[in-house]
Amino acid sequence: MLPLEYGRSEDRDIIVRDRFDGFRREFLRTLVNPEVIEEHRQSALGQHSERLERLLIYFRQRPLEQRYAVRAIEPFRRYQVVRLSGRRGVPPRLVDDAIYTSANDARHGLFLRCIRDLLET
Amino acid sequence: MAQIKIFGYADKISVKPGDTIQFHVSADGTSTAEAHLVRLIHGDEHPHGPGFIDEEIDCAANGTWQVEKQFTQVGAFLEVADPDRKLALDGSITLCAFIWPTWPDVGHRQCLLGRWDNDRNHGYGLGINPSGRLEFWVGCGNEVDYLQAELPLQKQAWYFVAATFDARSGRATLYQEGVVSRYNSLLSKVAPVEYRSHVSEMFRFRQNNLPDTPFLVAGSRDWHALRGHFVSQLYCGKIDRCGVFDRPLDHEELDAIRSGGQPPLDGMVAYWDTTKGYTDRGIGDLVVDIGPNRLDAEGYNRPVRAQTGYNWNGRNDCFRLAPHQYGGIEFHADAMIDSNWNATKTLELPETLRSGAYAMRVRGGDGEGLAEEYIVFFVRSRMPTARIALLFSTATYLAYANERFATDGQIVQPMAGQPPTISEVDIEIYENPEFGAGCYDTHADGAGVCYTSYRRPMVNMRPKYRIAAFDLPWNFPADLSILAWLEHKGYDYDVLTDEDVHLEGVAAMAPYACILNSTHPEYHSERMLDAHEDYIAGGGRFICMGANSFCCNVAFRDDEPWIMECRKTGGHWIAWAARPGEYYLATTGQMGGIWTGFQRWGQKLVGNTFAGEGFAHSQPYRRMPDSYDPALAWITEGIEGEIIGDFGLGNGGAAGIEIDCYKLGFGTPPNTKLIASSGGHPDNYIAHDEEGAHAHQGFSGTHNYILRADMVYFEAPNNGAVFATGSIAFGSALPINGFENNVSQLLSNVVNAFVRPGPLPGSNRPRKSTAGLERVAP
Repeated sequence: MLPLEYGRSEDRDIIVRDRFDGFRREFLRTLVNPEVIEEHRQSALGQHSERLERLLIYFRQRPLEQRYAVRAIEPFRRYQVVRLSGRRGVPPRLVDDAIYTSANDARHGLFLRCIRDLLET
Repeated sequence: MAQIKIFGYADKISVKPGDTIQFHVSADGTSTAEAHLVRLIHGDEHPHGPGFIDEEIDCAANGTWQVEKQFTQVGAFLEVADPDRKLALDGSITLCAFIWPTWPDVGHRQCLLGRWDNDRNHGYGLGINPSGRLEFWVGCGNEVDYLQAELPLQKQAWYFVAATFDARSGRATLYQEGVVSRYNSLLSKVAPVEYRSHVSEMFRFRQNNLPDTPFLVAGSRDWHALRGHFVSQLYCGKIDRCGVFDRPLDHEELDAIRSGGQPPLDGMVAYWDTTKGYTDRGIGDLVVDIGPNRLDAEGYNRPVRAQTGYNWNGRNDCFRLAPHQYGGIEFHADAMIDSNWNATKTLELPETLRSGAYAMRVRGGDGEGLAEEYIVFFVRSRMPTARIALLFSTATYLAYANERFATDGQIVQPMAGQPPTISEVDIEIYENPEFGAGCYDTHADGAGVCYTSYRRPMVNMRPKYRIAAFDLPWNFPADLSILAWLEHKGYDYDVLTDEDVHLEGVAAMAPYACILNSTHPEYHSERMLDAHEDYIAGGGRFICMGANSFCCNVAFRDDEPWIMECRKTGGHWIAWAARPGEYYLATTGQMGGIWTGFQRWGQKLVGNTFAGEGFAHSQPYRRMPDSYDPALAWITEGIEGEIIGDFGLGNGGAAGIEIDCYKLGFGTPPNTKLIASSGGHPDNYIAHDEEGAHAHQGFSGTHNYILRADMVYFEAPNNGAVFATGSIAFGSALPINGFENNVSQLLSNVVNAFVRPGPLPGSNRPRKSTAGLERVAP
């Protein structure tokens, strides 16, 4: 967002939040490596290494409209990854056609999307 | 072809054989559905457990039902009973009110008060227009004349507003003045905000009133071809004292009301004094008219009373201390406490029905997905003979009813340690406010939801349901694992509900030698808490099966037990926070929030209570030295090794999700023994320290020994006893390996000892009678 656009925002908190987010993302990008991704693939839930834990805490704290969720098409059999709308009453939308056969696989697919978002923006 | 969707509810949650129960069903895409009564036995479909188990029961209602689409009126408002049409004023008029809008810029018209037909454009109204400005209008059917203020209303600021209309001259005026004090609004006087607006205009015609239009506060009448009359233009915010006059009050008269003076009697048609009717025990839905016609107004969808008014001065935090400062009635456009659907089927329950958890299963079309509904209710024993009762936490089910925190809660993913896992029905209720919300949600205007009810579909009080935020069976479906265990072990048991304990007190519990409660017995009214205490102290033997136990204070009206009030305050683990001065329950006059605030920690009752929560990963228990005490060896008899419950349908362990711990300083009985304890939970488990300490580093699972589930046992007076698991995940460990595992073994040991008459094993107390266990006469 350009400085001028910030000037039109009534809530200055957003400026601080976005600056903090920029610093945080810059640091978090340095934590991404194949070991972290493999660690998550093997165990999507529970206690993780500090490196992975920091990334996960960040992903779980994103503004709602930037967060993903798992959609259970058929519990214990078929799952997809969706993105939350962040707007009350507006359902999450599908992000791709990938079908996962377990919730943990879907959580890992979701994690890879978060990593991609972090590295590409 | 339209997708088939079936939803329903029953008018009662707890019944006895022979009672009559009504089922209310709404259907999309079909006019018939197949209904069958089932007894529910297991509700978790996790592949490592026994899966969903039910049993079809013969009854007169089984068969094909005619079903239809039913509509739900959402939104809170007041309707004035005015049979003589005193408010059908067709001449001069003044409308006035103190208001505190919460969402003036919502983008559609909100009616504050008026006798307005939104479909046919007849009548008059004072409201907030789509641009967020105060507006007065009159309509004669063909045309509407409007007068709007010069500037938008500020949210969460108290105003005194009025509209006057002189029918002789046609002059309409708007009066808008801020009444912002140091305490009552979002902003203080240092903010350079303009509140005032006074405008005037000549209207071209007078209003024309239809005979049957109701006078409403916080909404206006509307009409739809399929559903008929309903209320729209719903208002979000508070309204304090408001009135109607049949003449235009002048500026000085309005200034006097604004300043706290009595409204003039000359020309008064109605004046609703929203501070009238408070008692030491709360206030109801009737809003008293102090005018000459006694045109009292009745709340619909429970407008929130006991809210601070325009003149709240911050000195008193409860309406009991200063009712005249609690004139605020809060309205929410998405409030909903009763679907009010037509009854689809009435059933007289068979006299032979055994006590248990039941549902009317209703299926449309192929019965898949949203085409299948389970309308759950509980059948008590008419003449208790079993020694065991399973107590279902229906108050907790109400608190969580239709919660949407996976999609709306900012804090939920960090709390849960995982992304949500959303199902089709979660999306359905998210898109449709007709389902109403639970006490973990906020209204769309940002205020917390403090009323919840079971007279509407509760999609998460169903078997098979998994809560989106945690991808677990939660509350009722998880509690069925305890019921399935009782079934598997062949125990003779009855079921009870929180509602029974609230309405009947300890008398509902007294017939049973041993009572097991649920995985999540969080919410209790004072009567319920008292009954538990009296039951245990009187010689009852109680197994607290879950965690986050006995934490939150809620209230019910005796004549409407299906509606529960909950105010969130105290502690730092609440979903929303009641505003300053609004901590007290309108239903009872008692402070809301957590029982900690009353020196009634859960530890005083069952030896442990809330340590923290984390949801994503569970741990086993490790045996503690007390478990090796020969006097207590009966509890762990048959269990090899130190580890208990390194398995479970609740994230792989018997200790987890939410966990409770022993704490002498919070009233754990000093004779309490610690049988086993967990620990080393992941860092998304955060300690809920109730000592008021500052949050600090090291509050989380791997850093803090407080984060643990304690399995505790103590003897109570009169041969009573308590065993508490301290873990929500405990119940979900029972079904593993066909219910043959060390958690199941341990629970069997405890239940077998608890149902046996006489002293407890290993007790060194003198033998006493079980006088406290007097059976209630059938």
